[in-house]
Amino acid sequence: MNVGEMLKMMRDPLGAPFYPPALQVLLVVTWVLHIFFVTLALGSSLYAIWGFLRPTNYRLRLARVAARLTPNAVGLGIVTGIAPLLFVQTIYDPIWYASNTLTGFWSVSFIFVVMGGYSLAYLFYLKGSPDGKLLWSAVASFILLFFAGWIMHVLAAVSIRPERWMEWYAPNGIIDTRGVIFHAWNIPRLVFLLPLQAGLSLAVTLTLFGWYFRRNEEDAPFMQWVASLGRKLGLVISPLYALTGLLWATTEGVEFGIGWQVGITLVGVGVALTGYFFWLRQPIRYAPRTLLAWIGTLVIVGMVREAIRAVSLARFGYSVATYPYAFDWGSIIVFTVTTIVGVAVLAYLIMVMYQSGGVKHDAQISPRVERLGTIATGMLGAWFGFFLLVGLYATFFLR
Amino acid sequence: MYPIWEGIFIHSAMYVAIVSAFHVLASHLTVAAAWFNLYLERRAVYEKRPELYEYLRRSALGLLVFAYVFGAMAGVGIWQTTTAANPRGISTLIHNFVFYWGAEWYMFLIDVVGIIAYYYSFGRVDPKTHLRLAWILALGGTGTLSIIVGILSFKLTPGLWLDTGVSLNGFFNPTFWPQIFLRFALMFPITAAWALLIVTGMPKTYPEREPIIRNAALMGLGGLAVALAIFVFWFYPVLPEHAKIIMRTRAIPPITYTVILGGIAATFAGLLFAWRFPQRQQRLIALGALFVLFAAIFGAERTREVLRKPDIIAGYMSSNQLVFNDLPARNIESEEQRLNETGMLGSLPFLPRPDQIVLPANSGLPNQTIAVGRTLVVQQCASCHNVSQQTALIGFNQRLALRSLADLLYLRRATTADLIKSRIRAIGGFQYMHPVVGTEEELSAMAQYLEYFVQQVHPSQPQVVTQR
Repeated sequence: MNVGEMLKMMRDPLGAPFYPPALQVLLVVTWVLHIFFVTLALGSSLYAIWGFLRPTNYRLRLARVAARLTPNAVGLGIVTGIAPLLFVQTIYDPIWYASNTLTGFWSVSFIFVVMGGYSLAYLFYLKGSPDGKLLWSAVASFILLFFAGWIMHVLAAVSIRPERWMEWYAPNGIIDTRGVIFHAWNIPRLVFLLPLQAGLSLAVTLTLFGWYFRRNEEDAPFMQWVASLGRKLGLVISPLYALTGLLWATTEGVEFGIGWQVGITLVGVGVALTGYFFWLRQPIRYAPRTLLAWIGTLVIVGMVREAIRAVSLARFGYSVATYPYAFDWGSIIVFTVTTIVGVAVLAYLIMVMYQSGGVKHDAQISPRVERLGTIATGMLGAWFGFFLLVGLYATFFLR
Repeated sequence: MYPIWEGIFIHSAMYVAIVSAFHVLASHLTVAAAWFNLYLERRAVYEKRPELYEYLRRSALGLLVFAYVFGAMAGVGIWQTTTAANPRGISTLIHNFVFYWGAEWYMFLIDVVGIIAYYYSFGRVDPKTHLRLAWILALGGTGTLSIIVGILSFKLTPGLWLDTGVSLNGFFNPTFWPQIFLRFALMFPITAAWALLIVTGMPKTYPEREPIIRNAALMGLGGLAVALAIFVFWFYPVLPEHAKIIMRTRAIPPITYTVILGGIAATFAGLLFAWRFPQRQQRLIALGALFVLFAAIFGAERTREVLRKPDIIAGYMSSNQLVFNDLPARNIESEEQRLNETGMLGSLPFLPRPDQIVLPANSGLPNQTIAVGRTLVVQQCASCHNVSQQTALIGFNQRLALRSLADLLYLRRATTADLIKSRIRAIGGFQYMHPVVGTEEELSAMAQYLEYFVQQVHPSQPQVVTQR
């Protein structure tokens, strides 16, 4: 059995419930959201450590904010990670399941590692960050969170090298069911996606932080300092980003025959970011635009990852475009209705946080947001009516 | 079809069970606690009892850190553990229900963003706005529950899906409705224990301490009573006959029922005590109650998982990840039938042909046939059984392993390859076993490996012959 036959046979016989390339788009889009929070968690964790190790007034103050941000970003990273996890399993089931079972022990350990990293980050935020105690917990948290990233990196690296699976699983035909070996990795890819993007996500968030609290006049110098620190970080890291992108292209890109394409794209993105941060003279004023630029960059990086995966699997005739599918209208309707309700409610929640976050007491939520809240809560309540009706229809009439 | 991950020291299925039990505890807590907090917040707003906010704030922080975030992590942990333990089982669920899970993800996002907004806006926003956030949390949590129950219950009772192949039929399956109400009711005892934990950590002078304990205990007792009634009069009667038979077999160890029933009794007694003597409650009691509930949930969830044995999806896919029934509505044919003719080895990915199995000197296996047999046993049995020393905890003259085949065969005096082979041939006659798949040669190889394994674990038997 060759690798192509193997991949074809491993696809789930049920097929996808929707047009697979659309799921591929959802995979990239949701991954962008996920990687933003994951890298932000790593970036803020590292800054918190640095701020306490090399303290000045401003650095300490920001380090405390970073210590508080880390566990929240981890939580959001986990929650947003669920969506790409769903879509990758739907259209890339053969490679995702194979890499997870080949690396079974680490795949299972992943969540315990994240829990440990999160708990220590929270410990540092609650008990350590007010007066700089328990710095070890922040360091240990960073190490664990980075290690979790390493595990995910290995799973991805294993998944795109199906030609080596049998050699890893059953050398000489003797199966290894322990799943303890890290079979594949690519250091430039890892450095590009984790530490460097962590720095850039932090840089962008620092400018946003300054922008969000810009109206607080007594804090203006601090906010100015924070935002320009974000710009400086961006300016220093972006060229490294371009350079590491080039290394990624010359290693993994070349391995899969798209070295030029990956190289031009990633170096281009890195240079463009360098230029952006260089000319960003008013980081507070243009913070929302900086965020958009960063999200755009992450979308491009997500597409590069996807291209590498697609090219790797195309060697064996596997393509998302030819993945079998049959429209499953019931589930499509449930998902669409819930999307509408979910987006409305989430928009309301985010607006409440936005409008109440800048003050300690008696925040004024605008009447327009309150109206949105009334409608969104009503929609959420109505969703149960919809769900019940669909359920009754499926239970009593759908044959 | 996929590489097998047996587990390390602990069987892969136990990793799933531990993570799942924790997730159930945390996620169930988030739903009912949201309703309980909503009830208290309504009283705070409409009866002008601002002191209740102090409890709500503490409860929300605990829920944010423990239940929502750890619950979310454990949820992802279930993905990781089930993927490693039984990828094709989870694949069936994902390819049927990816959009339902997508819908649940929205509800879950509402939960997580909601609890952050709820906690950080205490005292910052108007009480009515805050009360709306409480409503959103309660509804969002119930939304996640409603969706996940459809997917979970599908595994035991796919219902009409086996005929129509339509996901809605699989989702709203025969045990969906009773299970959703059963779980909803069961959440309240968990929340009662949580409320006790939070309120006993507050000063004894806190004026709402006793009312909250009494309310929580009463709500927990009510939830427990309703849940028991639903189980007896609704859930149990709609269980498939096969599941009812499994409940009475050795597939579920008697200790499981002891833990579940003991947990229910202890919870009932504890809540009654709390209701009657709120002033005598302490943190340690609340922690004990949560521990008891964790043990009971662990037992109940394990039982629920075992009820559908030997299938991972009842009537469709067996635990060894092979489709054993046709599903004409989706153009799917049984895989077992074909594999009985062609043999397993070389016919499925990750199962090398016998001639590809070359025994190196350091393999630790006595001969090539035993190596072949090990590959097959791992493929067909490892999803439910301990089939090697790799997934056993050994120490103090004890060997802890999940349904070890070495122990089961030894107990039944099937310790030689011939006896084991007869046993394998007859295994399909057991209520909780499928017939072993493969050719005669493959069955012989499996029997030889199992003889070797029994010998490893119970070395008193005659030594295995190293060359055959």
